[in-house]
Amino acid sequence: MFAYIIRKLVYNIPVYLAIVLLVMILLRQRDPVAGLLGKNADAKDYAAKKQELGLNRPFLIQYGDLLRSIFTFQFDEESWTQPGVTVGEKLVEAVPRSLALTVPALVLTSLISIVVAMISAFNRGRFLDKLLVFLAVLGMSISFLVYIIFGQYFGAYQLSQWLGRPVFSIHGYEPGLVNWAYYMLLPVLISVIVSMGYDTRFYRAVMVEETQRDYITTARAKGATRGKVMFVHMLRNAMIPIITRIMITLPFLVTGSILLEQFFGIPGMGYVLLSAIRNNDFPVVETFTAVFAGLFILSIIATDILYALFDPRVRLQ
Amino acid sequence: MSMTDRFFKTREFRKLFRNKSAVIAMLVIAAYLFTALFVMCGGITRETCDTVVGQNKMPGFFIQQTPEQRYENATSKFLPMVQRALSRADQTAALADVRLGQERVVNKSAAQLQAIIDRAIELKNELNQSEDLDADSARLPQLKALEDQVAMLKAPLTGWSRLMQNASLVLGTDAQGRSIFLRGLYSIKIAIQIGLVTAAFCVLLGALLGAAAGYFGGWVDHGIVWVYTTFSSIPNLVLLVVLSYAFTDSEVKDTLLPVYIAFGATFWIGTCRVIRGETLKLKRMEYIQAAQTAGFSPFYILVRHVIPNTAHLMLINFSLLLIGAIKSEVILSFLGFGVKGQPSWGIMIRDAGNNGDVVSGFFWEIGTATALMFALVLAFNILSDALQDAFDPKHV
Repeated sequence: MFAYIIRKLVYNIPVYLAIVLLVMILLRQRDPVAGLLGKNADAKDYAAKKQELGLNRPFLIQYGDLLRSIFTFQFDEESWTQPGVTVGEKLVEAVPRSLALTVPALVLTSLISIVVAMISAFNRGRFLDKLLVFLAVLGMSISFLVYIIFGQYFGAYQLSQWLGRPVFSIHGYEPGLVNWAYYMLLPVLISVIVSMGYDTRFYRAVMVEETQRDYITTARAKGATRGKVMFVHMLRNAMIPIITRIMITLPFLVTGSILLEQFFGIPGMGYVLLSAIRNNDFPVVETFTAVFAGLFILSIIATDILYALFDPRVRLQ
Repeated sequence: MSMTDRFFKTREFRKLFRNKSAVIAMLVIAAYLFTALFVMCGGITRETCDTVVGQNKMPGFFIQQTPEQRYENATSKFLPMVQRALSRADQTAALADVRLGQERVVNKSAAQLQAIIDRAIELKNELNQSEDLDADSARLPQLKALEDQVAMLKAPLTGWSRLMQNASLVLGTDAQGRSIFLRGLYSIKIAIQIGLVTAAFCVLLGALLGAAAGYFGGWVDHGIVWVYTTFSSIPNLVLLVVLSYAFTDSEVKDTLLPVYIAFGATFWIGTCRVIRGETLKLKRMEYIQAAQTAGFSPFYILVRHVIPNTAHLMLINFSLLLIGAIKSEVILSFLGFGVKGQPSWGIMIRDAGNNGDVVSGFFWEIGTATALMFALVLAFNILSDALQDAFDPKHV
């Protein structure tokens, strides 16, 4: 197991180097200096700014610097648009906000869609199953944007008008557990509704496949009730693909939902990342993507290990 | 029996065509393709979409307009345009230039036009004295008279131009007075174009790379897996945004090329994974081993035996990628990183948001974009499911 982890980590080093390189190359297709200086800058200001930002150094040196700061966890480069604030500070500030949105959303979505999928799989082929499957397809066909816009309009704006007092925030964020429901509950609910269709369909397919296996027939033949077979035998075996799917989404918890954060003005990681791209804030974009990619790779390795722990048939090699 | 015949008359295709909802979905998709073709052949141009056809934020066909709206409608666009043209030195040329959608100035002398306008302004001033026209039913005859005066300025529309004018107003106008219906239809072309190009390119690339990785193994496999792990380790939306950001200052920024590149770089990965897995399975099949023993070149075996046997997966992935590309285009355009300089559903939704349409209860623009997109994506979702049922029933 230990050897497997080491080998996986080593194997992913070139992947990681390529990710950082790719992001740096893509960003440098544009000249950020002119954008940061404004319109009235002359050539001297331009050269000075370029010097200050370190953009006149050879590309490989810049690449090496970025890698060093990532691998030593020294995120003390300053943001270009907010002088005095380091990238690390921005990261520490943004991540909990994203997590406050995505973790409850993931937990709720997973629980609800597993239950709905079980109801659907239990009634397979009957009217209820067909209805649920159809609703899932309908839900998947509506754009995320529409859910957010109408969710914001009816949930935050109209509901407040109707009740005469603000229930959910339309835009903005304040930290603190007390304020959580006011700022976060509506985005969480929207996020749950959006992902329900996809997750329910997937979990239902997993369960339907499980119910066709021989051990289910055996259990039924020896007299176990349908409910018992469903909850005890089937669910335990269906857990493996379910856990994999949840594990794969874990790194995305950190980036948050870019669109939801954008709409509701929650300055989480997605929001900060997007505005950094718009404002040519290279250090923020590079660091945020690098951190995300690192988490992504680690979580894939962790998924493999969990697999081996849950399923004795899986051997890591 | 030809090659295509053999492919389309298989049991799987017959199963697909027996599925009623799949057939309906295919008909819907055909209607969209037909519209896209019509737009592409010049039926609706970019200029048509940018032409002002009426008052700003005019509601669609079946809404009874309130007196306030009717007043706005009569006074806001055509009347001042003619007034301005009359005050110019080159009256005749300026009058000939006045156009609102298909509407033109009627062929009358300047003095006659001036008389109509004077009467209209008189009526307008009288109506202005009213605080709230909606509540003031006594002034309705005056409003009617004003509308008649403005109608007298317009040359009567006949035939095609009348049809076009009515059609362009059928779903109302946006905040700049442009036709929502025409913009929505034009967006169909954008969506279909982006979807088809992306899906075709990504399925081909993914299939070739996936088959090569699975068949050759070794360093080819490692290399290809390395490339796609790299691309998939960056959040998809971030990668798309950064990729189209890289093109913001370049010459091609107003074309669809940045969007194609962004989608082309990311969307092949799923197909590549699936085809690689399938190839690993196929490689152990007897007929492949027979071909190897017979001494065919690896390239020949790949093209003649491996890739054709993944055709069903390519078909399913094509349909799935189309959905992905259409949905991502809308989100990317909405964020300002996608389509630029021409209408798209994402841009229509963004405009509706920016102009406060939703808050003021004007749902025509966002509703049109949503409904058109919803029907297309739903049809493709149903078709993908049916394809999966028919060709790959064991898939989870």
